[in-house]
Amino acid sequence: MARVVAAMAMTHSPGLTGWFTRASREYQELALQATAEMRRRLEAARPDVLVMFSNDHLLNWPINNMPEYTVGIGEEHIGPAEWFDEWLAMEKYRVPGHAPLARWIVNEGGRRGLALSYLREMQFDDGISVPTHYLNPDAQFRLVPVTMNCTVPPIPTPERAYQVGARMRDILAAYPGDERIAVIATGGLSHEPGGPRYFWVDEAFDRWFLDLLKRGDHAALLRECTLERMEAAGSGGTAELLAWVLVLALTRGPADVLAYMPAVAWRSGTGMVVWNEMA
Amino acid sequence: MGNVERCDKTLPTNEMMFHVRRDAVLRARFASDLEGLAREFKLSRAEYEALRDKDPRRMMDLGVHQYYVPQILRLFFGAAHNSNASAALECYRRAYPEETAQAMALQERLERSR
Repeated sequence: MARVVAAMAMTHSPGLTGWFTRASREYQELALQATAEMRRRLEAARPDVLVMFSNDHLLNWPINNMPEYTVGIGEEHIGPAEWFDEWLAMEKYRVPGHAPLARWIVNEGGRRGLALSYLREMQFDDGISVPTHYLNPDAQFRLVPVTMNCTVPPIPTPERAYQVGARMRDILAAYPGDERIAVIATGGLSHEPGGPRYFWVDEAFDRWFLDLLKRGDHAALLRECTLERMEAAGSGGTAELLAWVLVLALTRGPADVLAYMPAVAWRSGTGMVVWNEMA
Repeated sequence: MGNVERCDKTLPTNEMMFHVRRDAVLRARFASDLEGLAREFKLSRAEYEALRDKDPRRMMDLGVHQYYVPQILRLFFGAAHNSNASAALECYRRAYPEETAQAMALQERLERSR
């Protein structure tokens, strides 16, 4: 059976590639060190495939038809989407997919009461592209992208994301193969993309959230970190942390917070986290 | 809940932007004939004028999803190095002077403290 061998999370702010040098040298070095450490731990875990959970920024689906979750089932994934390559200052990348696993997730999800949309060809913005740039730059790991709705009302709650994560854990574990799987959440921390507080980050919220992860008490996090609390820390963006909450359900115990930067220049609270124990 | 709840999921601008971002021909039309494009997608006059005037506050008051607003500005100003000092983001300073001033003060404070 397949096994989840690594779990991690990182911010996917487009500033991390698009206007990286606009942040202080200290933040640039912190981000580079933290993502290098994530890559080092990823390589040590020897995954065959990365299952990456990220917000869909209204790119793959129109606002009148936004699924809660979408799985990319293609044999290969190519990004960034044309509209985003200049924004992200990135060359095109190609990453092999894992179609059998992706299709398993969709179908086994259905059998287990989880409605998952799918796309054979998915477009990628910062949500998948920025983590791919830092964690899988030479495409050595296959990719199953899973996008989620974190920004179109009704935004799912953290409890819901955690429940989906728990179900995803069972779905992955039941896959009839011996794949080693890394789960990666992307998005957050506090930010309000395009909103009136577009330039703001909420350092107090971010440090509080990361402390909850360091404590490793899932029940406390779900009790205290409500969707309303996320929205107050940056509407329409901070709730990308739902991806982190989903991945949390596949882990156990405290997370290592590798870095935190209240990076106004990148227009996002910026953090990198790794869990040591899988659930 | 927050600002994102103010979006109008049925607003024609939100529908138009989904297609414009994915289609180079429509992006060219946006640059050369915004009024005609707006008419085809059945935008109201107020929507068209908010876009034409590059006014984030009016766009959001009408129900444009906040995520599309910087993307709309990119269509006018381009994307390269869209830092906090870019021309596109000057529109935010004009539309939301108080919020922007607070954020810039925060940035200065954070940079001074390090």
